[in-house]
Amino acid sequence: MGRKAQKNDSLPGSLDMLILRTLSRRGLHGYGIVQFIQQSSDNELLVEEGSLYPALQRLELNGWIEGVWGVTSNNRRARIYKITAAGRKQLAVETRKYAKLTLAIARVMGAE
Amino acid sequence: MLIRRLRYWTEKARRSEVLSEEMELHLAEKAAELQADGMTPERARAEARRRFGNVSLKHEESREIWMTRFWSELAQDVRYGFRTMIANKAFSTLAVLLLALGIGANTAIYSFMEAILLRSLPVADPESLVVLNWHSPPPFNASKQWVHVVHGIQGIFWPGGKGALVTGIFPYGAFETLGEENPVFSTLFGYFNGQNHNLAIRGQAMSANTEYVTGEYFRGLGVSPAAGRLIGSEDDRPGAAAVAVISFATSQNRFGGPPNAIGQSILVDNVPFTVIGVAPPEFFGVDPAASPDLYLPLHTNVLVDGARAARMYRDGNFYWIEMMGRLRPGVSMAQAQAALAPRFHQWVATTASTDGERAKLPALILNPGAEGLGSLRRQYSKPLYVLLAMVGLILAVACANIANLLLARAAARRSEMAVRLSLGAGRFRVVRQLLTESVMLASLGGALGILFAMWGVRTLTLLLSRGQENFTLHAELNWNVLGVTAALSVVCGLLFGLAPAIQSTRPDVMPALKNGRGSGPRRRAPHVLVVAQIAISFLLLVAAGLFVRTLDKLHSVQLGYARENILLFSLNARQAGHRQPEMTTFYADLRKRFESIPGVSSATLSQSSIISAGHAGGAYRGAMKIGAVTIQGASVMVAGPRFLTTMQIPILAGREIDDRDQTGSTPVAVISERLARTYFGNENPVGRRITFVDDNRDLEIVGVSANLRYGSLKDGGSSMTVFTAASQFPPDRVTYALRTAGDPLSYVRSVHEVVREADSRIPVTNVITQAAEIDRTISRELTFAKLCTGFAVLALLIACVGLYGTMSYNVTRQIGEIGVRMALGAQRGAVIWMVLRRVLILAAVGLAISLPVALSASRLVKSFLFETQPNDPRTLALAGVVLLSAAVLAGYAPARRASRIDPVAALRQE
Repeated sequence: MGRKAQKNDSLPGSLDMLILRTLSRRGLHGYGIVQFIQQSSDNELLVEEGSLYPALQRLELNGWIEGVWGVTSNNRRARIYKITAAGRKQLAVETRKYAKLTLAIARVMGAE
Repeated sequence: MLIRRLRYWTEKARRSEVLSEEMELHLAEKAAELQADGMTPERARAEARRRFGNVSLKHEESREIWMTRFWSELAQDVRYGFRTMIANKAFSTLAVLLLALGIGANTAIYSFMEAILLRSLPVADPESLVVLNWHSPPPFNASKQWVHVVHGIQGIFWPGGKGALVTGIFPYGAFETLGEENPVFSTLFGYFNGQNHNLAIRGQAMSANTEYVTGEYFRGLGVSPAAGRLIGSEDDRPGAAAVAVISFATSQNRFGGPPNAIGQSILVDNVPFTVIGVAPPEFFGVDPAASPDLYLPLHTNVLVDGARAARMYRDGNFYWIEMMGRLRPGVSMAQAQAALAPRFHQWVATTASTDGERAKLPALILNPGAEGLGSLRRQYSKPLYVLLAMVGLILAVACANIANLLLARAAARRSEMAVRLSLGAGRFRVVRQLLTESVMLASLGGALGILFAMWGVRTLTLLLSRGQENFTLHAELNWNVLGVTAALSVVCGLLFGLAPAIQSTRPDVMPALKNGRGSGPRRRAPHVLVVAQIAISFLLLVAAGLFVRTLDKLHSVQLGYARENILLFSLNARQAGHRQPEMTTFYADLRKRFESIPGVSSATLSQSSIISAGHAGGAYRGAMKIGAVTIQGASVMVAGPRFLTTMQIPILAGREIDDRDQTGSTPVAVISERLARTYFGNENPVGRRITFVDDNRDLEIVGVSANLRYGSLKDGGSSMTVFTAASQFPPDRVTYALRTAGDPLSYVRSVHEVVREADSRIPVTNVITQAAEIDRTISRELTFAKLCTGFAVLALLIACVGLYGTMSYNVTRQIGEIGVRMALGAQRGAVIWMVLRRVLILAAVGLAISLPVALSASRLVKSFLFETQPNDPRTLALAGVVLLSAAVLAGYAPARRASRIDPVAALRQE
């Protein structure tokens, strides 16, 4: 049983990991997260913007992020998401997994 | 996670709005950005939407995350629970069965309580109905004489505190006064139960319970007819046409349906009535105990009961009519009482004729009418509470037992749990999963328990109704009861699941991982649970012991007359139109015809059966004298010829009453031995005289009978009896007794034939064997003794299973230790003793806890006991011995197993 069931089911867990990574720097609201991911990947990673919200809910449900009311740079009321301690642990786990995965893929690709 | 989810659920609507707001903001910001890049506002908004995707779909998806996960996890837990249950078939079956028994018994008893104590009358707006009662100080003065405005009654008083009078019957004058225009009641209606009358429909007679009701009765209750119309004010006045309303059941049994009954003419005690309507099927009158077959307008009792009834209306000191009122909207019961009590006081003061009577006038009190009159409630509420307490204890034992089994299993599953916890499962998640399992067990138990309860309700109805003709208590498993059962199951599941779940997920998982066969520190919880089970079993054993002893005492009561091979039945010729003096001849002829039925060795008649003589009317109740001496404490029994022979009461001197004693001949009496001894000493009383003062008649004593117990087993007991001849003191209603060869009930058909030949208008009622009639008076004791013994055995069995389980587990855990001991030379006997000693210690601790509880709790059932003290030492000792023997028995198998341990194997395993 355990946490197996709560593993996110989006493409190799990347969206969850990206959100957690983004939020591990600072708290942001939904649009801010999208912007950050796109800008810091030089617009290589195009998040399907609508999918962000189910992902946020899932992360919140798992207790990895927390939403609180705050204000955007334009002075509009918005829900600002922050990473929790459990979220940081999860980020570490996923980062490790991701590193392993990319390494494995790189090995396969590198093998002649 | 569950908590977060619950929190989300509680603010579901708000969270949904928040989500919309977030998405809106997202779109707005995106649009603003695109606009800054040079798009027109319209295009920017459209582009933002395009890139976002389907807004409402995403909204839906986001919300679903909180919902579906919960159910999918639950489904996972349930699936897993099923797998675990199937993997442990023996355990699951045992647990489900235990719970089914416990929950089923509770459901059955609760459905009775619901039927008797909680259900409302099936009428419109029962909450606004109030019953009128009154209470007054004790009616007797210092010299034990009755001084009270009540000079006569038809109905019952029920005991108030310290001899006070409490009742719901009033004089007709009070009904008229209270019914006058008043600001608190929209209607006030009266009624009284006329008991059984002879109802003849198309020439076929039956005995019908008759309710006399005032014209406002049906309107006040808000009942609508199943057919025709109900009795109204115009029907209830002197001289109105004689009309009747019949019950739904009667219309079906006698007319083949409500519509056919309308306009038919019927005879009530030979007086013609016309059926104008049929009551609805669910309506049983205002007293759940009565359930009338026939409703007649109040004033028609003058037609049926004659001049005696006419007097009742004028006599302000004769109490008979019962009343209910319907409160006007917005009026509280307290306001109504404040308004009506002075009015009643004023009226009742005018009926008092002496200062003594004036000193203790009745005072009006109002009670809620929603549940109807309390006669069933008074009769059954205490027994039901006692039974409910017992089945509650059984369920507690069952829960403790399952908790114990789960604890043992939890120990076995420790490594599984440890693996799960170390793999990162949250403790709460695991506890929740374990609780799901136990609630599943409990739900299965509850479902099975409902089946068990259906059987239980039927059995209990049979036990409680035992021989009563029109038993009206109908318990059923309705939604209310089923809801309570479901709640009970879930609570049980949580109760017995919580402790083991918490214990098995203790964070100290490492030792369990290292050591496969959990031999951690000795755990106390199983022992506590076993002690609790033993303590509760002891309570139930004591209760069973007390009731069985009571039954034993009742069975050993010396009756003084025959119990077996006697058939009893009653006839009421007066209600079919017979009158004196012809009626006496009619009864006497019938007796001869019964005696000539083949197989009947003798037949007799009396004013009632001996058992019910205590509360049946008809016999002489006035003062009796022998010479100048007044006889104290003797009862009169009107008997026909051969009474003593039929009842096998020995004749000690002289003769019994026989055919020589005719209406015109010298009045005779036969007295019982105790009476003879008390008032004649050693003289022969035969030939002496006894005077019935109120009748102004002298009776010649012609014989002396052996003593007999007159009246019911419990409160009867006067063995001073005067038998008088039925021909000389003719009763209206008689009970025949036939002494038969073989089963008395096989003669019922012949009896019916004889009666039909003589007069088909007379129904044969109260057909019963003497043995059954005697048992009926102790039916409650019988029921209690049977149920309690059953409960106690069940509890003891469960407790023994628990004890056995715990001991087996202990032995398994101590294999190493026992092996060492045996290797060091311990004898088998010593090992057995080592295990049994612990069993005995547990049992003794349970006993020690339970004994004081038993002593104080048994006082609560004192009123159910007969010649048995609640702290009866023999019962307590017996219960203790039974308990200890059962404990030793349960502990012996594990002990024996311990003594068979092979030391070498045990040590190697260690």
